[in-house]
Amino acid sequence: MTDKLALVWPEIWLFVTTCVVMVVGLSPDLRVRKLCGWISALGLVVAIGAAVPVAHAGGLFPSITPYAKGMIGVVGLMLLPLLAGTVDRDLDAAIESGKATFSALRSNRAEFYAFFLFSLTGLMLTASADDLIWLFLALELTSLPTYIMVTISTRGTRSQEAGVKYFFLGALGAAIFLYGFALIYGATGTTDLAEIAAAFRAQSEAGGLNTIGVAGLAVALIGLCFKIAAVPMHMYAADVYQGAASGVSAMLAFVPKTAGFLAIIMLCGAVGWTHGATHDSLPAPIYILLWVIAAATMFTGNLLAIRQSSVKRILAYSSVAHSGYMLVGVIAGPGSGHGTFWDNGIAAVLFYLLTYGVTNVGTFAVLASIQKPNGEEADDIADIRGLHGTRPHLAGAMLLCVLSLLGMPPLLGFFGKVGLFTSAISAGEIPLVIVLGLNSAIAAFYYLRIARAAYLEPADEHVETRAGPIPQRVFAAVLSASAVVLLLTVAQMLMERSVTASGYHAPHAGMADTPHEALDLTRADD
Amino acid sequence: MHALLADSTLTGGLLTLAQSDFPHALSTLTLNHYLFVSAAMFALGIIGFLTRRNLIIMFLCTELMFQAAGLALIAFGRYHLNFDGQSFVIFVLTIAAAEAAMALALVVLLFRRRESLDADLWAELKG
Repeated sequence: MTDKLALVWPEIWLFVTTCVVMVVGLSPDLRVRKLCGWISALGLVVAIGAAVPVAHAGGLFPSITPYAKGMIGVVGLMLLPLLAGTVDRDLDAAIESGKATFSALRSNRAEFYAFFLFSLTGLMLTASADDLIWLFLALELTSLPTYIMVTISTRGTRSQEAGVKYFFLGALGAAIFLYGFALIYGATGTTDLAEIAAAFRAQSEAGGLNTIGVAGLAVALIGLCFKIAAVPMHMYAADVYQGAASGVSAMLAFVPKTAGFLAIIMLCGAVGWTHGATHDSLPAPIYILLWVIAAATMFTGNLLAIRQSSVKRILAYSSVAHSGYMLVGVIAGPGSGHGTFWDNGIAAVLFYLLTYGVTNVGTFAVLASIQKPNGEEADDIADIRGLHGTRPHLAGAMLLCVLSLLGMPPLLGFFGKVGLFTSAISAGEIPLVIVLGLNSAIAAFYYLRIARAAYLEPADEHVETRAGPIPQRVFAAVLSASAVVLLLTVAQMLMERSVTASGYHAPHAGMADTPHEALDLTRADD
Repeated sequence: MHALLADSTLTGGLLTLAQSDFPHALSTLTLNHYLFVSAAMFALGIIGFLTRRNLIIMFLCTELMFQAAGLALIAFGRYHLNFDGQSFVIFVLTIAAAEAAMALALVVLLFRRRESLDADLWAELKG
């Protein structure tokens, strides 16, 4: 009991902070209400501090906790200044000028920050999940608050439409992976991930994996595609990212994606990377499914991104493509388990999630920092034309982040992508490496188009962009861009951490305490 | 199952009485029967979600899929004679209730804006 409590101290601290924020955000005093962001930041710092000392936990990936929760906390801290001023800006202005009085019913600040922290709590819980029930609840705790955050992020109908689309497809995705979990439980007789792994191992040694178990894994993976915005459940991404406020879009590109990848890594870990005929890989049906999803996701994301004229939609489709890249690391697997960063696909995925999360904040923060004359945030590519002339530091931040997303050496994103390439090569996945390389080239089209609009094209005369009134967002953009460069100095350490985090505790067949006979569907229950 | 339940003081007498009257096919329900019903519910849910355009019906279809998973969990739990499946279902019901609350809130919000529940009316975001 106390062991389990020690694992979830970060989540406990975050939950306490959430409760405080929910109360503080309803204070009639504006100065007290404005403390919400600072209290959230403090809670995240404490959570990171509580996560780092946890050296060894149970489950299939016993050492994943410090790295994963530290990463979640750091990206959460970077998202906080970007989310500043998303809700309640008009209300606060009206109150300050004396036109309105504070009403708890019209204010959204308390819920907004509380849901943000709830979502991060769920994400951290996903990282330490060792049970299917826990995993399901953590994934839902991650997702449910984001549906509301999307809906309330602006006052217009577009964010409401985005919220509805996101919620309905999210509920569909959740139902699909829940059905997959049920089938996995049926095939193994337990919900504990380590025992599931042992049962799968025993079945594999006794002559082959149970069909229901493999089907369950496949269904669960397809459901989780919603979380990572991969084909076939990627359609919502562009609409939702465009409809939500930029800060919330940046959060959607990191939080559910990370939760989805942690869950996919755990499910793949439960069945193991030891089933290949010629080389070690996932069982053939799962391998083929993930292979097709990865390739289709990369091509779909990149080819659709080229056709867009809205920067937010470009970034949404590029987020789809990045999911495809990371699936390559999942397919490659952890390698021998004793290797370096360069032949460990799981470490590459964990490192890539960090680089993507850090970089992604910057691109959306630049958009959030530019306000159009009608009060909306920048969206169309015309809105960032000539940005270098008017606001050079934002243009610089955009350039650095876009080049890092593209994987340009020597920026942070380059090292993330190289890890995926080398791990896939050492796992023998040459066709997949070719697809990955091809797609990285396609991605250059639209990333460089953004950079060219900001630097080389003159500003449109009829589109006037003026400085946004929210300095915190500019800070988030500059912070992210400098992290893309400065994290290079500790990249070596981060890679070593991600290798430690990917330490895969491969189960052996004798671990389960109950015998797992073959599932006989026609056995009468008597 | 007969032996197991006959031992139970709670249901023993009742079940043996009922089983003598039931047709043979029904008295020997296997895991297969439950899984078939569950799979049918799940498939109906997906088909309904993809073909219907009324927001409330679409939400009910996802609920149907949740309950299909719940039925499968309980059937498997009975098959394996442990309680993991049944305790999972309690949590599934909780999540389903939370989603229902959010879905109805969203539907009310949308109805106030458009006076309709047709999902196709919401097509402002395209590209």
